Amino acid sequence: MAFQILLNFFLAFTWMFMTAEYNGLTFLIGYFFGLVILYILRRFFDRRFYIFNVLAAIKLLLIFIRELILSNIAVLKVILSPKLMNRPGIFALETELTKDWEITILSNLITLTPGTLVLEVSPDNKILYIHAMDIKDAEEAKQSIRNTFEKAIQEVSR
Amino acid sequence: MKTNDVIFQTTTKVVLFIIVMFSIFLFFAGHHNPGGGFIGGLMTSSAIVLLLLAYDIKTVKKILPINFLTLTAVGLMIAVLTGVGSFLFGAPFLSHTFDYFELPLLGETELATAVLFDIGVYLVVVGVTMTIIQTIGESE
Repeated sequence: MAFQILLNFFLAFTWMFMTAEYNGLTFLIGYFFGLVILYILRRFFDRRFYIFNVLAAIKLLLIFIRELILSNIAVLKVILSPKLMNRPGIFALETELTKDWEITILSNLITLTPGTLVLEVSPDNKILYIHAMDIKDAEEAKQSIRNTFEKAIQEVSR
Repeated sequence: MKTNDVIFQTTTKVVLFIIVMFSIFLFFAGHHNPGGGFIGGLMTSSAIVLLLLAYDIKTVKKILPINFLTLTAVGLMIAVLTGVGSFLFGAPFLSHTFDYFELPLLGETELATAVLFDIGVYLVVVGVTMTIIQTIGESE
C-alpha cells in the first residue's frame, strides 16, 4: 500500500515536471491520472488497489463515530435511571487480529466506546480482557465487537 | 537456461508507470502542442510491450485482461460516433466544436469534441499495435 501511494505521488510530480506548471492544481490532475493508471494496472501489485484501503479506513472512522454516539446514549440511560440495575463484570475476547497496531487500535476503539473497557491483553496477543458495564449482555458485546470493529480493522489491513 | 530478470522486472515496475504517464501527457498536449492520439497510443502500447519483455505473455494477460480486438472496435465506434454526432446539430459529418466551461476545481477549461475523436484514435492505435505484437508473439 505504501509503495502504491509513493508511486502515485511520484507520478503526480512527473506530471508537474512534464507540464512545467508547479502548483497544487497540476499536482491534483497528475495525481488523478496516476490513480487511473494504478487502477488499470492494479493486478500488477501483490496488494490490492490502495484506494480500497483508504475507503476502509474512512469506514472505520464512521463506524467509530456512530458507536461512540450510540454507546454514550446507553451510558446516559444507566446514569439517569433511578435504580442501579447493571452488573459489572470482566470477560475475555479472543481476537483474530495479529499485528501489534491492529490490536492497539481495537483496544482503543473498545475503550473509547463507553460500556466496555480493555483491562489487559494476554502475553501472546490472542485474548483481550474487557471490563463491561453490564455483564448480562457480554455475549452480545462480543458479537458486536467482532462484527463491527474487528472486521473493519481487518478490511483496512488487507 | 532461464536467467534471473530481477533487475529488469523491478525497473519495469517503476518505469512502466512513468511511460504511461508520459503517454497521457502526450495525448492531452495534442491540441496546442506536438502530441495527440496516435503518438499517445503508440507510447502506451510501448509501455505494454515493455511489460511483455519483462514478463511473459500469460502474466500480461492476467494484469491486463483486455481483448485488444474489442478495444480497436470500441475506438473505431467512438471515432465514428463523434463524427455522426455533428448531424444532431445540423452540421456536416465530422464537424467539431469547442467551448469554454467553468468546471469545479479546474476553473475555466477549454473542452473540445475533437478530444473524443482523439480518444477513439488512441484506443485504435493501442488495440492494433497490441494485436499485432501479441499475434506474432503467440505463434510458435
